[in-house]
Amino acid sequence: MLENIVSALDLLFQPARLLALFIGMLAGMVFGMLPGLGGVAAVSILLPFIYLMDGYSGLAMLLGAISVIYTADTITSVLIGAPGSPASAPTAIEGHALAKQGKASLALGVGFLASMVGGLFGALILSVAIPIAGPLVLALGTPELFMFALVGLCFAASMVGKDLAVGLAAACLGILLGVIGAAPAAANYRFIFGQSYLMDGLSLPIVALGLFAVAELISMVASGGGIAGQPMTLGKWGESFRVFWRNRWLICRSSIIGIFGGFVPAVGASASTWIAYGHAMSSTKDKRNFGKGEIRGIASAEGANNATIISDLVPTMLFSVPGGPAAAIFLGALFSFGFYPGPRMVSESPDLMYMIVWSVALASVMGAAICFAVTPYIARLTRVNFALIAAPLLLIMVAGAYQGTQTFGDILALLALGILGWLMKNAGIPRAPVLVGFVLATPMEQYFWLTTQIHGFTWLTRPGVLIIASLIVIPLVLNAGRWLRQRRKLANDATQRQAEASPASAEPPSHDSSIILIAALVMVVAFGYALVEMLGFRPNARLMPSLGIVPGLLLSLYVLGRQLIRIRRQGHMANLASRQELPVLGGILSYGLVMWLIGFNLATPLLLAWLLVGCARMRWGTALLYGLAVYGVAQGMFAMMRLTPPAGALLDLPMPW
Amino acid sequence: MFIPDTKLKTLSAAMLMAAGGFAAAPAMAEDFYAGKTIEMVVPFGEGGATYVAAKFLEPFLEQHLPGNPKVNVRTRPGGGSILGANWFQQNAEPDGETILFTTSSTSNPYVLGMDAVAYDLAAMRPAYSLPFGAVVYVSPNTGIESPADLHSSDMPLIYGGIAAAASDLPVLLSFELLELDLRAVLGFDGRGPARLAFERGETNIDFQFTPAYMSQVVSMVEAGTAVPIMTGGAVGDDGVLSARDQAFPDYPSVYEVYEELHGEPPSGVEWDAFQAIGATTFNFGLTAYLPEGTPDEVLDIFEEAIAAINADPEYQDKSQEAIGGYDLLPASVVTGSLRESLQPSDEVRDYLRTLLAEKYDVQL
Repeated sequence: MLENIVSALDLLFQPARLLALFIGMLAGMVFGMLPGLGGVAAVSILLPFIYLMDGYSGLAMLLGAISVIYTADTITSVLIGAPGSPASAPTAIEGHALAKQGKASLALGVGFLASMVGGLFGALILSVAIPIAGPLVLALGTPELFMFALVGLCFAASMVGKDLAVGLAAACLGILLGVIGAAPAAANYRFIFGQSYLMDGLSLPIVALGLFAVAELISMVASGGGIAGQPMTLGKWGESFRVFWRNRWLICRSSIIGIFGGFVPAVGASASTWIAYGHAMSSTKDKRNFGKGEIRGIASAEGANNATIISDLVPTMLFSVPGGPAAAIFLGALFSFGFYPGPRMVSESPDLMYMIVWSVALASVMGAAICFAVTPYIARLTRVNFALIAAPLLLIMVAGAYQGTQTFGDILALLALGILGWLMKNAGIPRAPVLVGFVLATPMEQYFWLTTQIHGFTWLTRPGVLIIASLIVIPLVLNAGRWLRQRRKLANDATQRQAEASPASAEPPSHDSSIILIAALVMVVAFGYALVEMLGFRPNARLMPSLGIVPGLLLSLYVLGRQLIRIRRQGHMANLASRQELPVLGGILSYGLVMWLIGFNLATPLLLAWLLVGCARMRWGTALLYGLAVYGVAQGMFAMMRLTPPAGALLDLPMPW
Repeated sequence: MFIPDTKLKTLSAAMLMAAGGFAAAPAMAEDFYAGKTIEMVVPFGEGGATYVAAKFLEPFLEQHLPGNPKVNVRTRPGGGSILGANWFQQNAEPDGETILFTTSSTSNPYVLGMDAVAYDLAAMRPAYSLPFGAVVYVSPNTGIESPADLHSSDMPLIYGGIAAAASDLPVLLSFELLELDLRAVLGFDGRGPARLAFERGETNIDFQFTPAYMSQVVSMVEAGTAVPIMTGGAVGDDGVLSARDQAFPDYPSVYEVYEELHGEPPSGVEWDAFQAIGATTFNFGLTAYLPEGTPDEVLDIFEEAIAAINADPEYQDKSQEAIGGYDLLPASVVTGSLRESLQPSDEVRDYLRTLLAEKYDVQL
C-alpha cells in the first residue's frame, strides 16, 4: 500500500499533469467565484478539453476544479452575500454579515482554512475507501438516506432567523418549487402547465441564480455605489488563523458530517452543510450571533461542504453511483478513459485511487493558498461602481442559465425567479430556506416512498435511523426547549417593564409595507392555486407537495393578515428604497423580452448601453470600449460552452463564427 | 484500460487538411465530409451512459467517415430526452451533418404516444445502432439458481426501478410475460442506486445494462452474492427478439426462458409488446438518427464507415471493455426492424397503455 501511495505521487508529479491540475483549479476557482456557476458548470466546461490529454492528466484537471469550488465560492458568499449553491448559504448569511461589520478577512480566512481541512478529510476517506468507506456506504439504507435529508431540511428551516413563520413559509415555498416536474413515486407531472421544459423540474443553478444573484444585482445597480457601500477594509489575516485554530475540533467534526453527506446520493452537501451548521449552533453556548455574523457558522459550513464534494467520489469510485452532479460528470470521464469504477478497479489499480487522493489533497491546500492570495484584488472590485460589474455578471448568469437546456425557458425561469427573489429580499423573507427546501424536496420524497414500499414501517426501528435521529434531533429539541424558556422569560421581563407600545409598532419598519404585502399575496395565491391543482394528483404524488402547500398556505395567510394589521395600526404605508429599484428591475425584464424578440446578439448591446451609460454614467467613448470587451467575453463564454446564444423570435443575427 | 490516443486526432486533422487540398475535385462520396463538422446531439447530460458511448464512438467516426469530418458531441438534456429530440426534429437539416444519438428514453414516449413528443422517430433515418444489452439477476437468498426456479422463490421478489414508462418498461414487460409474482418498487434515481439497494439487500431482483453489469455485477456473481438469470436477448436473423445477447452467450434470452417454462415459444400481445419495447431498448439500444429526408448517399456513406469501424482492430479491442464488445449495426440491418418496433400494432399500443394505467397508474 505504501509503495502505491508513493508511486501514485510519481504519477501525479509530472509537469503536464501538475499543469492540468493547476488549470483545473483555476477554472474551478473562477467558476466557484461567479455566482450561480458552481462545480457542474466548471466540470462540464472542462470536459471537452480533457479528451485532448492522457487519462491521468484529464482526471487531475477535473479533480483540481472539483476540489476548489467550495473554497473559492466563499469569496462570493462573503463579499456579495449571494451563495453559489445551497451548500454555501450559511457562509453567505454569516460571512456577509461579518463583511458588513468590516471583518471580511476573518470570515474569508476561516472559510478558506476550514474548506482546506474539509478537502483533506475528504482525501483521507477516499484513501481508505475499500476497508472503511465502502462498508459505510452499504450500511446506509434507504431509510437512513431519508433521515439525512429530513434532518437537513429541519435544520435549515429552524435556523432562518427571528421570524419563524416567515422562515417556515419560505421553506414551504422551496418545497413547492422542488416538486415541480415528474413525481418520483407516481407517474404524475406536477405544476408543469403543459410545458415540456418543466418536466425535469427547475434546475438548481437557475433557482440559485434567480433567487440570489439577480435580486442582489438589481439592488446593487439601483443603489449606484460599490458592493460594500463604503470601502471594504479587508483587515489582517492573522486573526483568522487564531480563530481557525480555536475552532479546529468543530471544523473536524463538521468535516466528518460532511463526509457522510457525500455518501448520500442526491442529498449531499445541501443537507450536510446545514446539519454541520446546526451542530455548530448546538455546540455554541452563546447563540445570539448566529445569523448576524457568527464565525463558527462559517467554519462548520465550509468544513462540511468541501468534505462532501470530495467524499461524493467514494460512491462514485466504489459503486459507480455518483454522489453529486459534479461527481456524475467525473464518472463519465472515468468511463471515457477506460476506467470502470467498482471495488475491483479500486483494489486492482490502487495507483489511480491514490493519484486521485493526492490530486484532491494538493488542490485543497493550494486552492486555499491561492484564495488567500487573490482575495485582496477581488475585494478591490467591491469598491467599483456596481453597474460596471453588473454588466458582465448578468451576461455570465444568462450564459450559465442557458447552459441548462439551451431553450428560452432557461432565461424565462431565471427572470421569473429573479422577480421572486427580489420581492423576497425586499420583503425581508429569507431565501436560504427556499433553496434548501427546493433541493431536498425531491430526494426526501423519493427516499420516503422507497423506504415505506421496501420496509413498511419497520424502518423506524432501524439502528441507523435511531442513531441519526438521536445525534441530531435530540439536541435540536433540547435547544428549542431552552429557546422557548428564554423567550418566555424575555416576554415576562417585557410585560414587567410595561412597555408602552407593542414591539411591532415601536420598531421602525425595515421593509416596504407594500412589498411585504405583495410578496405575501403572491405566496398566498401560489399556495392556493397549488392546493387546488394538487387535489387532482395521484395519492403518491400528493404527500410531499401537501407537506409544503398546506402549512405554506396557512403561514402565508398569517403573514398577510399580520401585515395588514400592522399597516392599519401604523396608519400609513412605509415606503423605502425598494421603489427606486423598480426601473432596474424593469430594465432587466425588458432585456429578457427584447432578447426573446430579437435574440441575444442584438439585445445585449442595448443592455450594455443602458447599464454602462444609463446606470453607471460612463462616457460614450469609454462605454463603447468597455462594452465591446464585455460583449466579447460573453460571446467567448458561449463559444467556450459550445452554445449558440438564444436566437430571437422575430429576427436572429447569427455570429460570424 | 485505455487512454485516448491524441495522435489519432492529429492524424485525422492532417488527413482533413490533405482532403481539403482536393476540395476542387467534383464532390464524391470519398470526400463527402471533407472540411465538415458533424454535430452528434445527445439528449442527456454529460457523463451519462449515452454521452460516454458517443464520446467513445467519436474518434472512430472521425477516422472512418470519408473526408474525416470533425465530430462534436453536443448535449441537450431535459424532459427525459424529449426536449433534445424535439429540438432535433425542428432544427436539424437533412444534410448528414446533424445526428441524434439516443436511447429508448426517446423511443418509448414516441411509441406510447405521449403529448410532449413533437418528433417523428419512425420517419427519421437510422444511421447505425449500438446494441445495449441487459442482464437480469437475483439474490442467492431467494433460493433461485436458474430460470426454472423463477416461480418458486423462497421469499417475495422485490424489484427496484426508476419509472414504469421509462427504461424499466422492457424488464417489467418481461416479468409480465413470464407471469412473475413480484413487487416493483419504483422511484429510484437511476440504475446505480437501484443496484446499491440490491447490494444492501433491500431488493432481491435487479437488472443492469452491459457496461454496468461488467464493471459491477460480474464481481458480485463471482463472490456468490448475485445469480444471473437471463438477458433481454437480441434480434435474430428471423427478426424476432429470440437470439442470445452477443455479450452474454451463456445466459438465455427472455424468449428462451419462456420456452423453457411453458414448453412453447411465446406469442400473443404480451410477447409482441415485450418484443417491440425490448428491441428498441436492447438491440437498438443506442441509435443514431438522421433527419427525415436525408439522401441515400449519406446513408450509403455511413453503411461503409460502420463496416470499416467494425473491422477496425482497435475498435474490437477497446469496445470490449467500454461498451460490452458489441458490433455496430449498420442502417441496412437496423432500418426495417427498428421501424417495425417504433410502430407497433394498435393492439400492442392499447395493451401497453392499459397495463401502464392499471398496474402502474401511469396516465399517458
